[in-house]
Parts: sequence; C-alpha cells; structure tokens
Amino acid sequence: MKVWLGLVFCLAVAAVVAACAGHEWASPMDLARALAGEGSLRSRLLVEWRMPRVLAAALVGVLLGLGGAVFQGVFRNPLAEPYLLGSAGGAALGATVALLVPLGLPQSLLLPTLAFAGAWGATVLVIGVSRVAGAVDAAGMLLAGVAVAAVLGALRSFTMLALSDETVSLQIVLSWVLGGVQTPTWPILGLLAILSAACLGLTLLFARGLDMIGLGEVMATAFGLDVNRFVALAVLAGSVVVAAAVAFGGLVAFVGLAAPHIARWLVGPMHRPLLPASALVGASIVIIADAIARAALPPSEIPLGLVTAVAGGPFFVLLLAHKLRT
Amino acid sequence: MRVCFRAILAAACALVPVVTAAGDPITLRDGLDRVVTLPAPPRRIVTIFASNTEMVAALGLADRIVGIEAYTRYPPEVVSKPLVGGRLGFSVDAVVGLRPDLVVVTPARQAVNQLLDPMERLGVPVLVLLQRSVPEIFANIRLLGRAAGVSDWGEALAGRLEARLASTTQRVQDRKPPRAVMITGRLGNGLLLMARPGTYTGDALELAGARFALAGRGAIAQVSPEAILDADPDVLLYAGSAADRDELIRRPGWSEMRAVKTQRTYTVSRAELLIPGPRVVDGVEHLAALLHPVAAVQ
Repeated sequence: MKVWLGLVFCLAVAAVVAACAGHEWASPMDLARALAGEGSLRSRLLVEWRMPRVLAAALVGVLLGLGGAVFQGVFRNPLAEPYLLGSAGGAALGATVALLVPLGLPQSLLLPTLAFAGAWGATVLVIGVSRVAGAVDAAGMLLAGVAVAAVLGALRSFTMLALSDETVSLQIVLSWVLGGVQTPTWPILGLLAILSAACLGLTLLFARGLDMIGLGEVMATAFGLDVNRFVALAVLAGSVVVAAAVAFGGLVAFVGLAAPHIARWLVGPMHRPLLPASALVGASIVIIADAIARAALPPSEIPLGLVTAVAGGPFFVLLLAHKLRT
Repeated sequence: MRVCFRAILAAACALVPVVTAAGDPITLRDGLDRVVTLPAPPRRIVTIFASNTEMVAALGLADRIVGIEAYTRYPPEVVSKPLVGGRLGFSVDAVVGLRPDLVVVTPARQAVNQLLDPMERLGVPVLVLLQRSVPEIFANIRLLGRAAGVSDWGEALAGRLEARLASTTQRVQDRKPPRAVMITGRLGNGLLLMARPGTYTGDALELAGARFALAGRGAIAQVSPEAILDADPDVLLYAGSAADRDELIRRPGWSEMRAVKTQRTYTVSRAELLIPGPRVVDGVEHLAALLHPVAAVQ
C-alpha cells in the first residue's frame, strides 16, 4: 500500500511542478488563482494550454509504461521496448506522410491518425510476415521485426527526400520523430483518457498469461497456455497501446524500457500490480521530461524524446547500480 | 502580365476588409480566410519571420514590435527584441509572456501549426499572411496597415512600392526575356533548389523580365544539376555568395553552359529575393538591371 501511495504522491508532485515549469515559471499560487478562474492571459495559458499538456504527457507516459511492460513480459527480455516490432518505423512513416503529403485534411487529425495506423500496421505486418515465414515464436517475430523496420526506414527516408521542398521540412519530420506532447483540446484529452483506461483494462486481461510466460514456454504450455497464440495476441494488444502513445506523443525514447523496470523493483514481477505501477512510473517520467523539454532552453523546446534519453539514461544507470548493490 | 493581374485580383479578393470604421473593432480576413477581430489597434505585436517583421517595421511601427524569431536580421532596430522561437520551433510560453495583442505569422516551419491553435484558445488575435506572389506582398502590407489602425500608411507604402515595380516592369516589358534559372540553395545530395513559378521569388524573376528556362518542370523545387545543364539557360542567377557560385560553375560540364560561356552568371541577394517583404522590390530592380542592363540605364 505504501508503495502505491508513494507512486501516486510522486505523480502528483511531478504534475504540479510540471504545470509551473515553462519559459516563465509560475508558482503553485499562480496555478491556484488560474484554476479559480482568474482571467489574465497568463492564467488562461496555465489552464487552457499548460494543464491539458501536462495531463496529456501523463497519459502518454501511462501508455508507454503499459506497452513496455507487455513487451518485456512477452519476450521475457529486459531489453525489450515498446518499439521493438516495427511500430517506431511504421509510426515515423505515417507521420512523414502526414507532414509532407498534402492530403487535404487538417494536420491535427491526420498526424495522429496516420501515426497510429503506421505504428499498429507495422506490428500487424511483422506478425503476418513471421506467420507466413513459419517463424511463429518470439525469436521469429523479432527477426521479422528487424526486416520490416529496415524496409519502413528506407521508405521513410525516400519519402522525406522526395517530398521535402526545403530543408526545413526535413527538420519538421525529424523533430516529430524525436517525440513531443502536443496540447490536446479538452475533448481529445477526454478521448485519450478513455483510451488509456481501456488500454489498462486490455493489458490487465493478459496479466495472468504474462506471468505464466515468465516461467518459461515449457511451464506455460504445461499450465495449458497456447504460447504462440498468446504471444501474438499480447503483441497485438501491446502494439495498440504503443500506437496510441505514438499518436499523441511521437516517438518518446526510453520510457517504455525504463518504466517497467522501476515498477518491477517497487512491486515485484507479477503483472497484475506491475502493469498499473509501470503506468504510474511512466506517467511521472514523461510529465517531468516534458517539463524539462519546455523550460530548459527558452524560447525553444527540446524534443521530448531527447530529454527522456539524455536525462533518463544516466538516471536509469544509477538506479540499476543501486539495485545491483543492495 | 496576365500572371500579375490574376495575382492582384486573387490577393485583393482574399484581403478585403470586412469593417474598418474608426473607433470600432477592426475586422479583417487573413490569408487563411479566417476572420480576425482586433478590439483596438494593436500596441504589442509579435511578428514571426523576417518578412512579417520587415513589413511592420516598414510601416513605421517597429516600436510596436515586442517579439521576433531567431532568423530575423533586419531592420537593425528590431534585431535585439525578445525571441519567441528559432531553430527548435516556437514557444507558446514565450509569445504569451510578451502579452501581445496581435501575432503576425506565416505558414512555414510549423509556426502556424504550433501557434495558431493555442493563441486562438487564449484569445490572442493571430493574422496569418501568405506570400504566393509579389502583389500578395503588397496586399499584406495594406492588410497590416489596416490591422494596426494605420491604413493610410499601408496604402502609401504599398502604393510607392507598386509604382517602383511598375516603372521597372515597364522598362523591361519590350525586351526579349532571357531564359533564366535562379538557384536558391544546394542540398547535401548534390540537388539544387530553384526559384519556380507560383512563388513570389519566381514572380519577381518574371517581373524583372526573365522567363523560366526550366518551364513545365516548375512544380519541383529540387532539380538535379543535369536538368539545369540540359536547359542551357541564357542567365544563371545564384542567391548566395560569389565563392559558392564560382565553386558550382567550375564543376564538370558547367563551362559549356551558355550563361557561363557568355559570362552571364550573377549572384543575387537572398535578403531581397527570399524574404517576402518590402525589399522584394529592390530585388526586382536589381534583377532587372542584371537581366536587361541597357533598359535599366535608360
């Protein structure tokens, strides 16, 4: 119980600090006044712009934490990360098309839709390819993932070269690929919240199976689990979660890898507590990273994925060293 | 000239003010056909991109500019103003921190995508300007004049620029237009960026009395050097330094190009021809002098 209270407390502190962080820092009092309905431009910025962004960052973190936990569980590999099976390449291709091809639809709609379609489509393709090739186990899927990622990467590079009419548009694609949470409208934020809750429910359905897989395929089969079928289904579910994260936050490096590990240290390896804990850890990490992205280098913003990698990498190594010594 | 007339008409249709009575709120239609309402003439303007900053400054309103972006280098009195963005995009925080009552922006480098939605939500008026032709730049100057409550100044400035342009185009109109290529940039993979029809830079080239040597392939901005060799232009214009141009034309094959053989390769000013502001008329005048040296003297 103490662990859960701690996690929620961390999340709340992270959210308040992040809502204060920006080009000009606000105080918690400013936040309170803004929430009380003060009408100044700055208060409106806090309520209408920054708070939805903090909440969106939290939900992207939730999705990445869930996706990472599922992928690490399925592949029984601590290095597995949510973008393992081509979703990064697919999402990047989708986003490149949305950013560079004039399709006549508003980009605010097109970008998340195509990123989602690309991310999920790529994983479906990977599973399809591995089935056709007859490599239905996890290793076969990983190899198919490498092949599909290579093809998608090349297609994206070609799209970028062929369609960009100025070097600036290459910069735009690159900055999307490096991740960043956009402020959603309230309805979109509501949609994201419902989606995140649904994803939590969906992944929890797999919790028992993931625990069994963790004992090894032979044991899992002995417990009556159809391992290959379960792996494929779990990967499909996990990739929906990741695709949703990508649609709203771009490619945010490292969170999906680190959050499940930190959660595992806190609540142990069983997936029923691990999945929500990983979601809470992911939310805190992305909220803080997004605040750093916004406030570190005014007036510009650093792409979120760079912050998560640069700040998260050393932090994770420290945690790891501490864990290994105790 | 047909191009020019059509563009003026299009620009005029796009930018007709809806209401401009004195004392009333100022209501305008911007480049994206949005209705923009200003409760009073703005006193604190954030101008994003060099072109918008230059136009507002040319209207004599440099003191009302409170924020610019990092690539603005002109005029000198604005370059030290606070920055709201640059290489890594644009900051909503930074713009709001300046408490602007108008943001002027152009759809480039994601600026509109990053700023329009938040500013609309926060109730900060945003004027989006397009620059697809030289006449549209004049229309933008008039629109900015109306937005700032100085319609007369906008009218006067745009009128002066139009008169200068008309005098230049008149001088060159009976001359045989040389077939020209204007290179505006180079990519790492060897491809060249080119001024093309349907852009203000291409428009400036035509107004100065040239025609496109690569007509028909105009929609593509990136071309291979081979295509330019193949087109064999009479005049080669390079927007950049003389050293870069010389490096380019020393490449194999380029010495055979008509423009190189007749020594009609010129460097032109990036500031005048690649920033859609008032200085584009200087650009057209300088181009006309290069393309039609005799006419320019008369």
